[in-house]
Amino acid sequence: MTRLQKTAVLTKLVERLRERGSWSGETHIQKAVYFLQELLKVPLEFNFILYKHGPFSFDLREELGAAYADGLLKLKAQPLPYGPSIVSTPETGDLQSRFSKTLRIYERQIDFVADRLGVKKVSELEGLATALYIKFNGAEAGDPAQELHRLKPHITVKQAESFVDELELLLEEGIGLLSEIGSV
Amino acid sequence: MRIEDIIKLALGPGKASDLDFTTWEALLSEIITGDAFGVDRMDYLLRDSYHSGVVYGKFDHFRLIDTMRILPQSPSGCENDSDEPALGVDTGGLQSAEALLLARYFMYSQVYFHRVRRIYDIHLKDFLKTWLENGAFSINADEHLRMTDNEITKAILEASRDPASRGHDAAVRLTAHQHFRLLYQRNPYDVKINPEAAILIYEAAKDQFGEENVRYDSYSGKSGITEFPVRLDDGRIASSISVSNVLKDLPVPAFDYIFVDPVILSEAQEWLEKRRENIISPAQEE
Repeated sequence: MTRLQKTAVLTKLVERLRERGSWSGETHIQKAVYFLQELLKVPLEFNFILYKHGPFSFDLREELGAAYADGLLKLKAQPLPYGPSIVSTPETGDLQSRFSKTLRIYERQIDFVADRLGVKKVSELEGLATALYIKFNGAEAGDPAQELHRLKPHITVKQAESFVDELELLLEEGIGLLSEIGSV
Repeated sequence: MRIEDIIKLALGPGKASDLDFTTWEALLSEIITGDAFGVDRMDYLLRDSYHSGVVYGKFDHFRLIDTMRILPQSPSGCENDSDEPALGVDTGGLQSAEALLLARYFMYSQVYFHRVRRIYDIHLKDFLKTWLENGAFSINADEHLRMTDNEITKAILEASRDPASRGHDAAVRLTAHQHFRLLYQRNPYDVKINPEAAILIYEAAKDQFGEENVRYDSYSGKSGITEFPVRLDDGRIASSISVSNVLKDLPVPAFDYIFVDPVILSEAQEWLEKRRENIISPAQEE
């Protein structure tokens, strides 16, 4: 994907998340993109590491920064004390029209992520995304819930077990979607 | 202290992406390398400001350091939200933090991304690629440390005086002020038409005038928006963006420059004047 194709996908994801009631702060976008890329195989090619609230991509942060600079996304301040939301701009529509073919290809994956993660809070996204990170980055020998608790000590083992269970359901549904659209 | 610890703290999770960071290691590293309050940034802004003779880079780093705190990342009142800690400030340090981030923006705009400084960087890179063995600095530690500014400055001067030497052309541009001149720079009007206007003009200029006569330089939004927790006087935690209009509206630095050989500048300007609209017109995806 070219840079602007990726930006078009990001803007569509932001809009879909907001339609589902997401706060759509940077953390929400980071985790939603992680699921879009790793679980649903949308080739965004961001490099994710374990950092703030779980999987985090500095490449994605740069891409969001470039989108702000180009006027394709912007921050919307929220009442004290909450953090800002990321929202689309009047220019977003032109970009999406230009890359409508790309957006059609990945529409169902974007909707899947927005439907499942749009209502989640940061703490829930952190737990689920970190569980996915553990699933896809080794640690198969150990208990994933214990590993999640080890990596993020503020998440209790009980909460971690719940995240691991919820992730399994998401994985099953995600694989099902990929089968339907012929991506696996 | 182990080498791995030093690497982690000095590079941070962004650059040492193959290493796992605990929450506390990430925090310690942020104190050194962080976008918002990293001491590396504090140091180079103040130092560069002093040595380049501009005042943009100054801010009250004593006040800022005194008010830095490890705080919950999430604002108060976010039910069931994450308790992960992050580096932030007490409300009394917010203006110092604003001053630091404004200093960063102005230093980027006026110093680090000044067009003449950028083209001299490009000519210096052109010289080094030709002059250094295999076009790169040695990765042998002793050899690397032996190569100082003095060796390179001497080599540039010698190469500029000898047309047969490696890197002569770039050396002359550096020493005789024959640097490439600005043909085009990013502007909001063209970005609104096409965010890739600059790269399209660069590609067209290369085709028209030859790659050797055109240079392109770009920087956009590397650090994104800087957000951090602020502890208010009543103990609540707030996002910096929700308590600071300065930070909310701080522009993201973005620059695109296209430079050409001064010999063809007039011709190139005339060419661009006639073709810009056509070149930057956005193409529909096929």
